[in-house]
Amino acid sequence: MIEFSDVGLRYGNGPEVLRDLTFSVEPGSFHFLTGPSGAGKTSLLRLLLLALKPSRGQVTMFDEDVSNLNQDRLLQMRRHIGIVFQEFRLLDHLTTFENVALPLRVLGQPESEYRPNVTELLEWVGLGERMNAPPSLLSGGEKQRAAIARAVIARPKVLLADEPTGNVDPDLSSRLVHLFAELNRTLGMTIILATHELPLLDKFNYPRMLLSKGELTIHD
Amino acid sequence: MIERVLALLPRHGGAAPIVPEKSVAGRTLLLLITIMGFLSAVTLGGVVLVQKSAIAWSSDVGREVTIQIRPVAGEVMESNLRTAVSLAETTAGVASARALTLQESEKLLEPWLGAGLDLTAIEIPRLVVVQLSDPQDADLAGLERNLAAVKGASLDTHAAWRQQLNTMAGTIVLSGLLVLLLIGAATVLAIIFATRGAMATNREIVDVLHYIGASNRFIAGEFQGRFLSIGLQGGLLGAVAALLFFVLIGMAAGNMLSSEAGAQVGVLFGRFALGFDGLLSIAAVIPVIAALTAITSRHTVRRYLVQTS
Repeated sequence: MIEFSDVGLRYGNGPEVLRDLTFSVEPGSFHFLTGPSGAGKTSLLRLLLLALKPSRGQVTMFDEDVSNLNQDRLLQMRRHIGIVFQEFRLLDHLTTFENVALPLRVLGQPESEYRPNVTELLEWVGLGERMNAPPSLLSGGEKQRAAIARAVIARPKVLLADEPTGNVDPDLSSRLVHLFAELNRTLGMTIILATHELPLLDKFNYPRMLLSKGELTIHD
Repeated sequence: MIERVLALLPRHGGAAPIVPEKSVAGRTLLLLITIMGFLSAVTLGGVVLVQKSAIAWSSDVGREVTIQIRPVAGEVMESNLRTAVSLAETTAGVASARALTLQESEKLLEPWLGAGLDLTAIEIPRLVVVQLSDPQDADLAGLERNLAAVKGASLDTHAAWRQQLNTMAGTIVLSGLLVLLLIGAATVLAIIFATRGAMATNREIVDVLHYIGASNRFIAGEFQGRFLSIGLQGGLLGAVAALLFFVLIGMAAGNMLSSEAGAQVGVLFGRFALGFDGLLSIAAVIPVIAALTAITSRHTVRRYLVQTS
C-alpha cells in the first residue's frame, strides 16, 4: 500500500531532515511512528499525506509513484488519506457535526445523504449528545474524538495521526489509542500514529517506526 | 436586513458557510463596495441624464429653423418679413412660420445691450421662426433657394450648434464611461487586497480544507460565495444611495436655486428625471458590482492557492 525507497527530504537548500528511508506499510496494518522531538515525524507524515514531495527517492502509494502525479490526481489520492492533528484543527465557527461532515461536503454530498452517517459516527465516538456544540465548548478529549471522526468519516484507506494524544491526559491518551485500534480492527483502516509517549507504546503491541536524526528503523 | 434576505438563498443544503461570514474583511469591504457602487450608479445616472438631455435639445432645436432678415437700404422690412413667412409656410414639412415682433426682437438683444434702451432709431435684423412638422422631410434646401428672392434674408438651420451640442454630449458620455472604468479598476484592486487579507486571516481553514482533500476550485468557490454576498449587499446599498441622491438633487435644484439658475440647470438636465432607462442603469450596477466582486475574489483566491500550494 505504501512503499518508500531511498527517500530523502530537505527544505530548500537546508540539510536533509529525512535520509534514506526505505520501508513498506501493508494494508490494514497499525504502526506507531516514534522518536524524539525534531526527529522528523511530522515531515514524514507530511510526505505520507502527499503535502510534500521527496527531494530524492521514490514514494509509491496505492500502487502509484506519487512523484509525477498532477494536482488533480494528488487530490484524488489525498482523499484516501485521513489526518488527525495534535492541535485538533477543528473550525471554531462550525458545530461538531459540521466539522465532522466537512470531508463529505467537500466531496459534494448533500446533507440529507450524509446526516445519518455523521450522526452514527458521532454516537460511535461518544459525541452523540455534543454534535451541535461548537468546538470551543468541547473538552480536549472530545475535540480529539471529533477530529478523529472527521478524519475517518469519508472512509479513507490510510489514517495518519500526528501526536493525537499530545494535548490530553494519560488516561484519555490510552482510550484514544484504543479508538484508533478499534478503527483498524473493525474497518481495516491502515493506521500510522505518531507519538513520543513511550509509556503509551508499551501498552499496545504494534510495530514501531523509530525515527532518529532523520533515519528510520522498524521494530516489530 | 439584506443579510436576512441573502440567508434565504439556498446554499449547500442549508449547512453553515465554511468561510465564516464575519471574517471576510467584513464591514470595511462592504462600506468600500457600497461607496464604489454609489459612485458607479451616480456616474451612470449622470451619463444617462446628459445623454437624454442632449437628445431632447437636439430634437427641439432640430424642429425649428430661423430666417434672419437683415436691414437692406431700399427694402421694406415688414414686406420682406411677410414674404419670408409666406415662402416658409408654402414649403413642404413646415408646420408654421411666425415673424418675431419688434418688441420680441428687442428683448432678444437685452442680454447684450441692456434693458430700457430705445432701439427705434436703429434698424435691427428681424427673425422669422419656422416650426417644422417633420424635420426629416422638410424641404429646407428649397426654402433656402426661394429666400434668395428676399434681399438680406438667410436661413439658419442651427446645424453647427447641434453639431457642437452632440460633440459636447458625446464627450461627457465618454468621460463618464472612463470614470466608470476607473471606478471598476479601483474596485477590483480593493477586492484583490481584501481577498488576500481574507485568505491570510483564514489560512487555518484553507489548510484544513486542503488536508481533507478539498480542491482549489472548491475553496475558491467558498470564498467567492462570501464575496458575492458582500458584493450584492454593497451594490444594492450603493444603488439605493444613488437613487436617493438623484431625488434629493432634483428637489434641491427645484427649491434651493434661484428661479433663473434653476431654469438654466433645468435646461441642462431637465428635471433630473432618470426615466426607466436611467433606473435600469442604476439597477444594473447591483449585479455588475456583485459579479465583479465574485469573479475578482475567485480569481485572486485561485492564484493565491496555486502560489501557496
